[in-house]
Amino acid sequence: MSGSKPLPVVSVQPTRGLVDEKFKVTVQNLLPGEEVTLHALIHSEDGDYWEAFAHYVSDAAGEVKVAEDASVGGSYQGTEPMGLLWSMKPVPGSRTGLRLRKKDVSTPMVVQISVYRGHISRGFKETSPLACAVAERWYTAPGVRRVDIEEKGVRGTLFLPPGPGPFPGVLDMWGGGGGLVEYRSALLASHGYVSMALEYMTPKTMPSGKDSYVGHQYFETAFAVLRDHPQVCSDRVAMLGLSFGTSVALAMAVYSSLIEPSCLVCVSGSHVQPVKGSLSDVFAEINKNVHRTRYDEEKRVIWRDLLLPIPSDPTKKVDVGKIRCPLLLIVGEDDQNWPTSESAEDMKKMMKEGGNSHLLTTLSYPGAGHLIEPPYTPHFRSSNFMVAQTREKVVVLWGGETKAHSYAQEHSWQRTLAFLRQHLYKSDRSNL
Amino acid sequence: MQGSFLCHSHWGALRQLLGLSVVRARLNKKTVWLHCMMGTMRQRSSCSPAPLLMAMPTRALMDEPIMLEARHLPPHCPITIRARMRSEDGDLWEALAHYHADGRGVVNLSRDEAQGGSYTGREPMGLFWSLLPAPGEREGLRLRKRNVETPFTVRVSLLRGHVLPPTALGCSRDARGRDTQVQEEELAAVTLERWYMAPGVRRVAIREGGVVGTLFLPPGPGPFPVVLDLWGMGGGLVEYRSALLASQGFASLALAYFGHRDIPGPLHRINVGDAYFLPRCVIGINGPMGSMNKLVDFGGKGESFQEDQKHWSYDEEGYVSFRGVSLPANIPPDHMVKIEDLRCPLLLIVGEDDLSCAAMENADKIEEGLQAAGKSHLITRLSYPGAGHLIEPPYSPNARSSLWSTRPTKLITLWGGHLGPHAYAQEHSWKKILEFLDRHLRGGS
Repeated sequence: MSGSKPLPVVSVQPTRGLVDEKFKVTVQNLLPGEEVTLHALIHSEDGDYWEAFAHYVSDAAGEVKVAEDASVGGSYQGTEPMGLLWSMKPVPGSRTGLRLRKKDVSTPMVVQISVYRGHISRGFKETSPLACAVAERWYTAPGVRRVDIEEKGVRGTLFLPPGPGPFPGVLDMWGGGGGLVEYRSALLASHGYVSMALEYMTPKTMPSGKDSYVGHQYFETAFAVLRDHPQVCSDRVAMLGLSFGTSVALAMAVYSSLIEPSCLVCVSGSHVQPVKGSLSDVFAEINKNVHRTRYDEEKRVIWRDLLLPIPSDPTKKVDVGKIRCPLLLIVGEDDQNWPTSESAEDMKKMMKEGGNSHLLTTLSYPGAGHLIEPPYTPHFRSSNFMVAQTREKVVVLWGGETKAHSYAQEHSWQRTLAFLRQHLYKSDRSNL
Repeated sequence: MQGSFLCHSHWGALRQLLGLSVVRARLNKKTVWLHCMMGTMRQRSSCSPAPLLMAMPTRALMDEPIMLEARHLPPHCPITIRARMRSEDGDLWEALAHYHADGRGVVNLSRDEAQGGSYTGREPMGLFWSLLPAPGEREGLRLRKRNVETPFTVRVSLLRGHVLPPTALGCSRDARGRDTQVQEEELAAVTLERWYMAPGVRRVAIREGGVVGTLFLPPGPGPFPVVLDLWGMGGGLVEYRSALLASQGFASLALAYFGHRDIPGPLHRINVGDAYFLPRCVIGINGPMGSMNKLVDFGGKGESFQEDQKHWSYDEEGYVSFRGVSLPANIPPDHMVKIEDLRCPLLLIVGEDDLSCAAMENADKIEEGLQAAGKSHLITRLSYPGAGHLIEPPYSPNARSSLWSTRPTKLITLWGGHLGPHAYAQEHSWKKILEFLDRHLRGGS
């Protein structure tokens, strides 16, 4: 019956997965020891193409299993089950300074996976592949509900898991730039948390003009809106912040008398800020040091020195020795945007002195940059950025080396989910 | 949302209202909400989060296993997992099973054994193949999807205690069979999508050269091996198996050859001949060697099925079995396929409880004929005790009987097959079919 050459086939399992779920890519019906290239392609919402490729050699059974076999060249090397996703870069000829972010979480990212004969590194568009498969990557599980929040002056998006609840809640705060980012909250809801992506650094949340950022009342109200939602367990609400979001979370946890988070996850942030100030005060303080901005050889902006040196003056940093709930601190040691490693060191010291270091867990990742996000999406060392106050367009250096940064994203996300599970689901609070 | 738009000063009053309405719906949470009614906005009542029901993947192909797990339950507590979905025609289908959480408060359907309900034992996909129409739905239903470009949506719920399926009156019953007024309590839920088409598969309607069918193509430039997908005397154009095959990398043409309005000729006759089909390797599922009904010859003459009825039999409920029609003794010898002329591998799949076709007897005859011709090496036979006629892709429910026709009289026909063994037959045979196609069409090992 055969005598003709076997017909290769590539498969992905699952074909439709969540963004933080692993998948298995398998090529079958090759000849033994055959050289092939696996290629992944995404067409982003912004119209750009991102791609990754890897060189494999089939085994004696004529198969390549990306989850088990080693890539011998390409966008990544070695055994990297999810490398085809996290090592993606814009295709040659693309615009510069790109960042892959999904705005509409109700549709998936669609990844086209192709297998080509031989070890090739270019010309994927012009060459005909041996076989193709398509995978969808979703931020929302089916049944997750999205609700626009505009309540008591608070703006944001609420994501609710399916089912009656009640559920623990997470107040999800991004940093500066990029508008309201929903995908992390959508993912958290897919894991069983009512999650509110809070808008707080956009024109719509600036009460009167470009320099008036919101103050502590805004965040207290936001926390209360989430806590008092009928499907939220009011004594199980966490705060999760990235970058400026960390500043907010730490300040609220220590200084607010109205809210009591169950735990904090602080990613790529710092405790250095004028104590009890509004965000405007924080920016003013940072701006005083704007002369400390550095540039790398490609004129990309390095802002990490603006908060250095870590002050010893207690009025200039959040007194983390007074934190009363568990704190998970996540930092990238190659962060070029904020001095997160130095801050983490100082926080550790302050908590030791304050007698609450048992509440602190620090995850420090060599080679990781500033934007430690949910896993399996491409890393980029720098990207275009618009400075909110001046509307100036720059290219900001975030830092990180792709493989180390992608490892940090995968590991820290798993630990974040485990931390939230531990403190929001498992802990017994019946005697509170 | 309740409470979202009232200002601060009305908050306490609203909480009382909220508390009242929630007390009615969730008796076990009564204590919690009473605390809320008495408190101010600052007071935090002790609130246990609901247990979590998780699935992976939440969007699956129909032939893909789904892992279901419930967490954060009280250790060893009894629970029920229930699947509910509506067919395209709006009928409600459901299945449920009883479990106990382990010492860590976890129930995992891939690991644990069901103690009762729609199935028992360790059945990771039991909720899907044991689905039955809910009481009160129409009779004679069969769960089949017409539009394969959209998924089935299934709501899987975690219920407190061991709940029995509701009676026809719509009341719940507790485990001792007593009617109660308490609605079963849903603790958690997850929504699943089950797809016949993988992303990237293309669906192409074919109406050319007299051929009526739908072609499903995998993503990519090809070329692809092709499967010619043929159904039985139910007629029409059934697409879902082809959609699944394309999702596995085979181009698949679902072919209509009988009972389709786009095929010229009367609907109740077979109006196509040998030249309509182009076989290569063959998979036969519960089929006869021959039929009382010939395919039309080149002269365009066909036959109808009135002659069949003398071989029909009826059970005590008046359901009809067509099995007698295909007993070898009842098939005219000149209508029999000349099996000795077979030139390609044949995979023969047989349900031993097939009440619609004499599958076993025909399979015996096929094997005998091939052996006599020295061609036993061509045949692989898979025989499944307890499986019925409708051996289809896995993880969907078997219909032991279903509505066959409404005119001239309403007839319900028997297909045979018991849920558990039939589910096993579907799961096992589908794997074997995909391996067989891979070997003979792709040259796989």
